[in-house]
Amino acid sequence: MEGRSVVRFLRTRREATVLAMLVIVFLGLTFASEFFLTGRNLSNVARQISVVGIVALGQALVIIAGGIDLSVGSVIGLAAVTAAMVSAATGMPSLGIVGAIAIGMAVGFLNGVLVTRIRINPFITTLGTLSIARGAALLATNGNPQRFDNWAAWLGYGRIGEVPVQFLLLVALTLVVAFFATRTRWGRNVYAVGDNARAARLAGIDVARTRIMVFTLSGSLAGLGGLLLGGMLTNSNPNLGLGYELDVIAAVILGGVALSGGRGSIGGVVIGAALMGLLRNAFVLLNVSGYWQTITIGLVVILAVGADSLNRRREDD
Amino acid sequence: MTALLSVRGIEKSFDRNRVLTGIDLDIAAGEVVALLGENGAGKSTFVNILSGALGRDAGRVVFAGAETVFSTTREAIDAGIIHIHQELSLIGSLSVMENLFIGDYRTGRSGIIDRKALAAASRPLLERVGAGHIDPRRTAGELSTAEQQLVEIAKALSRNARLLILDEPTASLTPHEAAALFAVVRELKSRGVAVIFISHRLEEVFQIADRVVVLRDGGVVSDRPVAATSREAIIADMTGRAFALGAMPPAIVPEGAPLRLAAEAIGDGAGIGPISFELRAGEILGVFGLVGAGRTELLEMLCGKRAIKSGAIRLASGAAPASPTAAWRSGLALLPEGRKTNGILPNLSVEENIVVARRQAGGGLVARGSERALADRLWRTLGIVAAGPGQPIRSLSGGNQQKALFARCLAADPSILLLDEPTHGVDVRTKGDIYRTVRDLAGEGLAVVFVSSELPEILALASTVMVLAHGRRTLYAPRAGLGENDVLSAAFVEAA
Repeated sequence: MEGRSVVRFLRTRREATVLAMLVIVFLGLTFASEFFLTGRNLSNVARQISVVGIVALGQALVIIAGGIDLSVGSVIGLAAVTAAMVSAATGMPSLGIVGAIAIGMAVGFLNGVLVTRIRINPFITTLGTLSIARGAALLATNGNPQRFDNWAAWLGYGRIGEVPVQFLLLVALTLVVAFFATRTRWGRNVYAVGDNARAARLAGIDVARTRIMVFTLSGSLAGLGGLLLGGMLTNSNPNLGLGYELDVIAAVILGGVALSGGRGSIGGVVIGAALMGLLRNAFVLLNVSGYWQTITIGLVVILAVGADSLNRRREDD
Repeated sequence: MTALLSVRGIEKSFDRNRVLTGIDLDIAAGEVVALLGENGAGKSTFVNILSGALGRDAGRVVFAGAETVFSTTREAIDAGIIHIHQELSLIGSLSVMENLFIGDYRTGRSGIIDRKALAAASRPLLERVGAGHIDPRRTAGELSTAEQQLVEIAKALSRNARLLILDEPTASLTPHEAAALFAVVRELKSRGVAVIFISHRLEEVFQIADRVVVLRDGGVVSDRPVAATSREAIIADMTGRAFALGAMPPAIVPEGAPLRLAAEAIGDGAGIGPISFELRAGEILGVFGLVGAGRTELLEMLCGKRAIKSGAIRLASGAAPASPTAAWRSGLALLPEGRKTNGILPNLSVEENIVVARRQAGGGLVARGSERALADRLWRTLGIVAAGPGQPIRSLSGGNQQKALFARCLAADPSILLLDEPTHGVDVRTKGDIYRTVRDLAGEGLAVVFVSSELPEILALASTVMVLAHGRRTLYAPRAGLGENDVLSAAFVEAA
């Protein structure tokens, strides 16, 4: 019985497909490159996964609720320069941390309000704020990178032993967000709203508030991502995070979240982000052209989602 | 008489689930066959096989003298078998005439649409189905449901339909519109078109069908001429037992029951109202009216979904709710019309669908243990049939989904129950279960508003009857002393 349900899990859940791919790539790299299993390399992989993973947690909630957030890449840039400039201006790095997350939260809240109160489609709303946030970052810095090397930046560059601090943050946030999504009323409402918003509303769920909440969370996590990315480079470039929204959305979809809303798991999203990180690492270690890396990520997304919809169609018959 | 369609031994399984166990059926040209059965009896699967939407595992289909295996609906349509689904499939953004000739638009090789010629070709088709008043250049999405249905039938005729499958065609029609549809069906019949007619309304079957075929558990349990059967016999065939609607004692509001809700001349400022009524504990207020009379709008005002522009609602439990969220909190539970679009959360489990409304009043953390226990209890009380509470609700039959939505209402422990067409599209057995549950709940002191377009239901269940027409209240009286004609004539009052 137990064995059968494991087989069923593997056959029916996209998380499982992606987990299997992750294991295969991991084992393959272990044999293909002597550098792969070194502490230094794994630590680098962990760093690459962290920001995408953290931002993907928020993005996953938005997509499960039936929306999409294209503004996260720009929020990363805006938050990174905010962290640097606020800590420089006040001399207090802790205010830099607060500022980065708060600016992300503000953009996210704005997205939520535009989507629910003015009823602008989420794609359009966040396409707009993508442009606005990036412009604001460039305007505030006049296009110049900002030094960011105080202790707040340590969250991005620091390690405890060999483990990057940002990776520890990813692990902790994954646990928190997974708990939120499965065990709290607000988390379950996210699924209900994404599954059938009209029915959710008539069942007494405050749909608008739920949507504003997920956009605000997504913005806040993107703000944190910007802080970490700026800190990792000890230099906040207003162009940080350019195109990140695509990696983040790819990780979410790869992890089994349905773009149509209502379905997906937080664990899957982190597995998706990890697979993308490992693939990137593989190209570096195996010395293959970086251009192939871009193509492969695209192929993997199509493959994983394609396998899933083939499976689903068989169920529907 | 040789059969137009002859079906032998059709079988179909999904995974290990045998849905059709060997169906035999003959239909002659010009014959109208009513296909009846509870939800899950296999009606949809069977007609989907006939129309090429599904493959079959075993069996033969002979149509117009030729052995056929349709692997796509296109092939079935070309052969003259046309299936008109309950959810209409016109393209709303195209014009009526474009819909009628969808795909080729009679453009010939140029690819350019000749609007005049297309309109001219459309008119006779529309006239044949009694829809000559519809301008073929109108956008299909602007038409009423009944008009869209006629356009679909006209479209079927343009493709030389020889067998027309109508799946619950009257579900959202007024009696008047349904009568017009039946006239069209008779006209088609006289031209030799065979019709398979699926409906949950037995009265219609007796009006229109020549033969009644009842399916149960994937097999044909009876196949009789309409003259040789009766309502009771059909219900017994469908359920395997007799039906209990008539056996219920009349509902009476207990003397001195406390007032739960008072609506004082409420209106939405957009054609509905003023409507006044009172609702007491243990009362079942049956609300009847034709489509468009304002029944759903009234419920929307009660549950805070639709703004009240004039008049006021007073609740025993406090102020009038400003949103559905607030309504549930103040003890109103709503079972909306339209199970799929407004009711279920399809991918969530049955259990979550049951507890979702109740949860909104609780704390932040989900109490899994007590939710499971509650869902289990309601599940057993209402007799929901499903593999387990973790199963996605979309995989349940319509009747069981409806019961789960009922359970959602009960889980919230309401003092007022608002039911909008709770038996719409559910099978006879589930209907009986729902009637009994409503009566039991009222007996326990719940106040119920029961909205329905089925008159027998209202008359059997309600303790008080309210009739709406054109957004106004045209009748409001205790059930006792009312006859069918009183209610109907109030529903058909002309607009002032």
